[in-house]
Amino acid sequence: MTALGTKRTMEKTVNDFVINVATANGTGSQTSNLIILHSMFEMGFPVSGKNLFPSNISGLPTWFIIRVSDLGYQAPGDVTNIQVLMNKDTWLKDLEGLEPGAIVVYNEDIKLPVEREDCVLLGMPMTKMARKINPKLGRLIANMYYVGAIAHLLGIDESAIEKAVQVQFKGKEKAVELNMQAISEGISFARENWEFESHFCVESREKNPDSFLIEGNEAVALGAIYGGISMLSWYPITPSSSLAESVIGWLPELRKDGAGGSTCAVIQAEDELAAVGMVLGAGWAGGRGMTCTSGPGISLMSEIIGLFYFSEVPGVIWDVNRVGPSTGLPTRTQQGDLSMLYEASHGDTQHIVLIPGTVDECFEFGWRAFDYAERFQTMVFGFSDLDLGMNRWETTGFQYPDGPMDRGKVIRSQEEMDTIVNYGRYRDVDGDGIPFRTLPGSGLDPILNRGTGHDEDGVYSEDPQVYYDTMERLKRKIDGSRPNLPEPVIREEEDKELGVIFYGSMENTIVEIDDMLGEAGISVSTCRVRALPMHPEVEDFVRRHDMTIVLEINRDGQLFGIIRKEFPTELIPKIHRVAYSDGMPPRARVYSDKILEVLNEVA
Amino acid sequence: MVRLNVIELEKSEYTGGKSSLCPGCGHDQISNNIIQAAWENGIQPEKIAKMSGIGCSSKTPAYFLGKSHGFNTVHGRMPSVTTGANMVNKDLSFLAVSGDGDTASIGIGQFIHVIRRNLDMVYIVENNGVYGLTKGQYSATVEKGSKKKKGVPNQQAPIDLCAMAINLGCSFVARSFSGSKKQLSALIRAAMSHRGMAFIDVISPCVTFANNDESYKSYNYVKANDEVLHILDYIPHFSPLEEVEVPDGEFREVNLFDGSTLRLETVAAEHDYTDAVSALRAIHESEKAERHVTGLLYYDENVPTATDALGLSDTPLVELAEDLLRPSEDSLERVNASFRS
Repeated sequence: MTALGTKRTMEKTVNDFVINVATANGTGSQTSNLIILHSMFEMGFPVSGKNLFPSNISGLPTWFIIRVSDLGYQAPGDVTNIQVLMNKDTWLKDLEGLEPGAIVVYNEDIKLPVEREDCVLLGMPMTKMARKINPKLGRLIANMYYVGAIAHLLGIDESAIEKAVQVQFKGKEKAVELNMQAISEGISFARENWEFESHFCVESREKNPDSFLIEGNEAVALGAIYGGISMLSWYPITPSSSLAESVIGWLPELRKDGAGGSTCAVIQAEDELAAVGMVLGAGWAGGRGMTCTSGPGISLMSEIIGLFYFSEVPGVIWDVNRVGPSTGLPTRTQQGDLSMLYEASHGDTQHIVLIPGTVDECFEFGWRAFDYAERFQTMVFGFSDLDLGMNRWETTGFQYPDGPMDRGKVIRSQEEMDTIVNYGRYRDVDGDGIPFRTLPGSGLDPILNRGTGHDEDGVYSEDPQVYYDTMERLKRKIDGSRPNLPEPVIREEEDKELGVIFYGSMENTIVEIDDMLGEAGISVSTCRVRALPMHPEVEDFVRRHDMTIVLEINRDGQLFGIIRKEFPTELIPKIHRVAYSDGMPPRARVYSDKILEVLNEVA
Repeated sequence: MVRLNVIELEKSEYTGGKSSLCPGCGHDQISNNIIQAAWENGIQPEKIAKMSGIGCSSKTPAYFLGKSHGFNTVHGRMPSVTTGANMVNKDLSFLAVSGDGDTASIGIGQFIHVIRRNLDMVYIVENNGVYGLTKGQYSATVEKGSKKKKGVPNQQAPIDLCAMAINLGCSFVARSFSGSKKQLSALIRAAMSHRGMAFIDVISPCVTFANNDESYKSYNYVKANDEVLHILDYIPHFSPLEEVEVPDGEFREVNLFDGSTLRLETVAAEHDYTDAVSALRAIHESEKAERHVTGLLYYDENVPTATDALGLSDTPLVELAEDLLRPSEDSLERVNASFRS
């Protein structure tokens, strides 16, 4: 034993702490981390896990941050209370960054100094012990010893751990037995060798039997399947690949016809240009096509996105945002694509963007996206990000769609055609800006769809008035979607001092930000925007408040820019921005401090 | 008396708008052949989907098959748009027209991958070796040393699209000339009877920018240097005796998916269209001799199509009722429960 912990007695801190596990990727540590996460979830208190991983297969640093909070805070906390050290490459830096008093659990077999006298240092020969029970798998199993160490320190129920191990190894007896043995040995070692009683501990809460954890990407995938997706085309890119793979995974169970044929085609395309072209073809032919990608993919898809808009073809693209510009930080999170999505492609364009903030909304917008696309005959974006898409969040179960599919204004028979006076593919016959369309194969008033200028009958035209009228109608059409799109979620205080507008995965940090501002004596109303173009209620929210701050995970304040462009000039002076992005999931303290700064400046 | 085809339609049901291409353009002859082929084959015009990219050739779907839906997409992306449409409606007959810029340069990636998937479509490249719409720049299929009136000669080796297609396992590969009416018509009709990717590279002179006699893709050059592999007769399944005489000499018959036959009458030596190596040899030898080999170069009826390979529902996906597209409420309960355990 090189570093025994010293015995301290302190007041207990129940269900309120942050664990940071530092490992290298490719060592199997994700399994151990998920066992900790799920065993805590099993005990019924709010817990969230964030995987900070590198763009690499093996050997680069990875951190897993677990936040336990009875208040339901899900952001990474400001300080690390318990640090697990498994990675020699980040060892010294991880140690250095700790606040005094932190508990350090480290793998004693990594022969590096552990010089933090102001911290609690708890070593365990994890690799040696692991090799003893299985020499071959020693490297992987070593990670199970820190599960045991954490379980001992915090008092996690052994039954909860066993259940999490069962789920993680899908009930495979040998794997369950081996890993449980390692965890048990870890617990015993800690109990016998560490004369230290942690002041952080867990206490069971009543668990909602309906709740479970799921990644946003899988929620979108299921939503799409329940939305009747009939073609998925995709090109692999972090962090959206698991969305496509989830669709592929669920299709055999959920989408077979009576004879066993699949009711959804899946194509791994040669690139994003092809992936989006396939979505266009599927939508034109009357199907529900979708692709998923991240920022670099959207950049590549932009030309065809303009064709969707101008030739009025339905389709769905999910953007799981990672950090740009360029290749950027491929495995980190950001809301940096919003303004690009809203106006993607050259010329004047405007696209519907659905912005879920929870896994329930990922599912819901997953199916609704197709209805909006077909109703408004346009390309619809789903906008998620790495934090929401690849981390696990709680739900009590997904809700079945509340009505039949909306297939939009499609003429399917001559009788229907006969009821329309003066039909033209691009003629607005009923004033909503949305023309009727017919499908290939129907023989009903066929046209050659095109990306070139066209008149109301779809015939090529360069006529100035025809072009102007077409563009005005398109504007009217997309503007007309505002009241139909998901309305903002508003939490309003009686005194309308400060309104904060935010969107997407910031939902998981906003409560904590709100509480911090509350502690500073500021009452905050919040408005979570869930779609572009914005619902009229967002403007009303701004109107009702003395001052508004738009809160975003990017550098420039992209929604702020859209708001300034679209809202009446007299409202603009009272709208401010807090935009910050460093690749990390949003930490409440960072944003609340920045909000306070803006408040000071304005005062 | 007005002539009717096998489904009792006049030819006028297959025509399109007035062409705006240069008078004498080879592309217009190809359009006429497409109209003729679709009419003679008795295809329902509404069951055809016309697809194209960008360029002179890609404008032509406006000039044929006015009763068919079509999509004039963006430059080089016609194959992917066709793929998406085919996935959700495999019963449509996809007839695509592209150019050498659209296919051999900007769209070469999609050309390659749509062949690899063996998408069920007819893919015609109207190949003239120049970019017409942007006024005569060299394309990637133009021969080395080709010289425009002004500027430097082309320095780069040409891409042979037929050779590429054969190397990629394309199930039907042919080359023809816009001025060879009988051969081109038989090949287009056979391509329409094929199930899978039918690729036809049609040399189609650009009368405005590349019709000087020394240009390999000019009328006079192709006429003088056309190396015909075989005389072609198409015999439709619905009328096996349609005005086709049995040749005196040797011939082979290709049995096509819809029951029609393409008869290949041997000209000099017999060409084995089932052998990729001999097809590639024919292409390379004629290239070396500065000639154009035309005819059915390669054919393989045993390649599964893209939709076959995916095990899709027999019903085109666009025709599925909502209960097959949206799983039941009970199933969602089971999904939720599976995460809770």
